[in-house]
Amino acid sequence: MVGVVFDKVRKMFGGVEAIPALDLAIADGEFVSLLGPSGCGKTTTLRMLAGLERPTSGRILIGDRVVNELPPGRRDIAMVFQSYALYPHMTVGENIAYPLRKRGVPRAERPARVRAVAELLELGALLDRKPRQLSGGQQQRVALGRALVRDPQVFLLDEPLSNLDAKLRAHMRAELIELHLRIGKTMVYVTHDQLEAMTMSSRIAVMKGGVLQQFATPAEIYHRPANAFVAGFIGTPSMSLVEAELSADGGRPAVRFGSVAVALPDGHLTAAAAGISALAIGFRPEDILIGEGAYTGTVRVVEPAGHESIVIVEAGGVALTVRVAGDRLLRPGETVPLHVRAERMHVFARDGGHRLNADRPMPGADPLKMTPTKERT
Amino acid sequence: MTRRPAATIAINLVTWAIVLAVAMPLLWMVVTSLKPQSELFRIPPTLIPSTVTFEHYWRVLTETPFLLYFRNSMILSVTTTAVVVVIGTLGAYSLVRFTYPGRETLAGLVLFTYLLPSVVLIIPLYLLMVSLGLANTIASLVIAYTTFALPYALWLLRSFMAGIPEDLESAALVDGASRIGAFVDIILPQALPGIISTALFTFILSWNEYLYALVLVNSDSVRPLTTGVMNMLIASFNIEWSLLMAASVMMSIPLIVIFAFLQSYLTSGFGAGGVKG
Repeated sequence: MVGVVFDKVRKMFGGVEAIPALDLAIADGEFVSLLGPSGCGKTTTLRMLAGLERPTSGRILIGDRVVNELPPGRRDIAMVFQSYALYPHMTVGENIAYPLRKRGVPRAERPARVRAVAELLELGALLDRKPRQLSGGQQQRVALGRALVRDPQVFLLDEPLSNLDAKLRAHMRAELIELHLRIGKTMVYVTHDQLEAMTMSSRIAVMKGGVLQQFATPAEIYHRPANAFVAGFIGTPSMSLVEAELSADGGRPAVRFGSVAVALPDGHLTAAAAGISALAIGFRPEDILIGEGAYTGTVRVVEPAGHESIVIVEAGGVALTVRVAGDRLLRPGETVPLHVRAERMHVFARDGGHRLNADRPMPGADPLKMTPTKERT
Repeated sequence: MTRRPAATIAINLVTWAIVLAVAMPLLWMVVTSLKPQSELFRIPPTLIPSTVTFEHYWRVLTETPFLLYFRNSMILSVTTTAVVVVIGTLGAYSLVRFTYPGRETLAGLVLFTYLLPSVVLIIPLYLLMVSLGLANTIASLVIAYTTFALPYALWLLRSFMAGIPEDLESAALVDGASRIGAFVDIILPQALPGIISTALFTFILSWNEYLYALVLVNSDSVRPLTTGVMNMLIASFNIEWSLLMAASVMMSIPLIVIFAFLQSYLTSGFGAGGVKG
């Protein structure tokens, strides 16, 4: 079993505490994304795992081994860099063969292994070219090939798709998913793109300010965000987060923002909500419906996107993002009735941001079934 | 922007005139070395010798210690270049990649030494060589030339290495290279244009330097070409011009060959394309 464990890992840069205390356990064979905004510590975490940065304190384990003191070359890992980091003076074949050379693989064995990886990644015709003669997608595949050729236990990928155009990025996402299904190795993937994380990962570790916010499946993160930051970071378009107050509406508990009061369904809040009246509530774009409803709003902006339109509606003095079908015609300034699916409303404490609403059943299949052979721990 | 033909012709004429003016001393040196003695001071002077003779070259090679001085210069220049390149590349790598107290102060002090005129160091260096027992040896010149070539080498190589993406080394470390392995496999090839520039600069400096060679060595067995040729061919009342020109031509050949061989490395794009974005 080759999982990865971060045990109370702390990282200081001079006097700056980049990562206070990270506890994270990645199971064998998982595809885990480290997701967060720039400066959240995800790349630092990956580099500590790779051995390119030393933790200030704490332990990092790969399998059963504590690897803190091991150099990168002895951790049985491979890494794909955001910049690809192909050796410019070597050909594609030499780039892929370099890890084999450094590990003392017999010279006679190397060409066959390089060829096998090249065929897998459709690089066979490019082995004699230099990196500067390749397109972005080809360079990225060479970087992948250099990682694959060693057959490591853990793959580390640091935003490898960020330099590709949108169409190629979508294509490479699918290829990476397929690759993971085929080889079944543990993959740790750093990205700031929540779409990449949601579509590719068994689990996502959302980070902010060096602190792990939530470590869960994409479905859980989307439907049961641990706090307001995770709720607002995940989802395209973003969740509409508004400040609200807990009040009573005709004797029933309700949340009020501006002139709008939304009654809370029974059992919607957990015990953690006791005594808290300053709230932040969140609505996913699909949880507000334009049509029949008890509320009204004014259309401010319509963003047609083909199969759907994203509409900014002002209601109760706040702007809400709503998703409508692409053939629904709306005009800015138009007054529309709104229906709020209160049972899907997310409630957070305004002070601290932690979630106050109870778990609700998650729709759809569990993305965990993407992991082919390994059981989740 | 397309120029008119007249402007193109005018620019070319001016350019070639400048080239000719700069190259004329060299050309005259070669021509003089091939003229017989009788034609040397002829009025009017002749650009093309009436008779081409290689007797001056033969006399320099067979009747003077020229080959001994050539050997000394070659040993001196090659050794100084090797020392400066090795220390310079390792030192520049340290200044760029490692973090330690006083790093920037050290870099500043290195630059400061380069600002001093070389002549102010002659006496202290001479006394140092005497105290080390190295006076009148090639080693004393190697140390002296390293003193004023190394600061330039460190700064030039530092800027070259700073331009090499750290990801390349990180990738090499992850691929299994040691720190020194990554330095040899990845850094050195990427820094090659800088290393060659440094080597060229140091070689030319060592080959052409006169003042320190005059002060620090005074035996024929260790004299380099610069002081050796002056010593053997230039006396107070007599200068053997034809031999001097022949010796000068032969002194220039190694520099021309080395520069011609290495200049393509200076201009080729070694680092392009390996790192995206």
